[in-house]
Amino acid sequence: MKKSLALLPLIIPAGLVCSSCQPVQAWERGTLAKPEMAIDADPMETTLNTHIFFSKEASNGGHNAAGGGCGCN
Amino acid sequence: MCFMVQAAEKGEIAPAVALPLLQDSGGPVLLAEYEGQIIYLDFWASWCPPCLVSMPIMNEIRNRLQDEGIAFEVLAVNVDSHPEDGIDFLLDSPVDFVVLSDPEGTSPAAYGVRGMPTSYLIDPEGKIVMVHEGFKRSDGEKIEQKILEMAGNSQ
Repeated sequence: MKKSLALLPLIIPAGLVCSSCQPVQAWERGTLAKPEMAIDADPMETTLNTHIFFSKEASNGGHNAAGGGCGCN
Repeated sequence: MCFMVQAAEKGEIAPAVALPLLQDSGGPVLLAEYEGQIIYLDFWASWCPPCLVSMPIMNEIRNRLQDEGIAFEVLAVNVDSHPEDGIDFLLDSPVDFVVLSDPEGTSPAAYGVRGMPTSYLIDPEGKIVMVHEGFKRSDGEKIEQKILEMAGNSQ
């Protein structure tokens, strides 16, 4: 028991290092290529939402929405 | 453990390929069977849009060059983890060349494929002459030019 505990500081970092070294190969990206896997599945909707958000919040900047708060642009 | 795959480069002998056919489970088909011809070995998947652009273009080039009497063949390797996805695409857009299936990805691993699609132009002696990553419409012309150049040199 003591021996295995003593090995823990070696095993945990080794495990972390190893798991981070497994890249998805080019030919394995079928699942990642699905539309539902996109961070932004509907860019048009995001653009409209951010435009409305920044206008209504009277805020300026951020994403691609013009600011000012008048809600007219 | 980190695994680094050595990519097959221009000037090297093309790694062996022995895979079953995608559509009728026949085979295995060996790359070595095509020795003596110029081979365009293409790794593609149904989820990769530029791959799908390349298929009909390469089919046209292959048929045109063969009609001109050039010993040229396209060997396509589908790497879909669900081969039926690749079959569905070919049912919509059939091609005349041989399409192999490698859902495990052993052959792209042997070639060290870094992006999709990647194709290898292999000379009649089995040596890689050109590695081509990605595909856009205008690439077909360049590839055809290279094949014609190779065919001219080997005559």
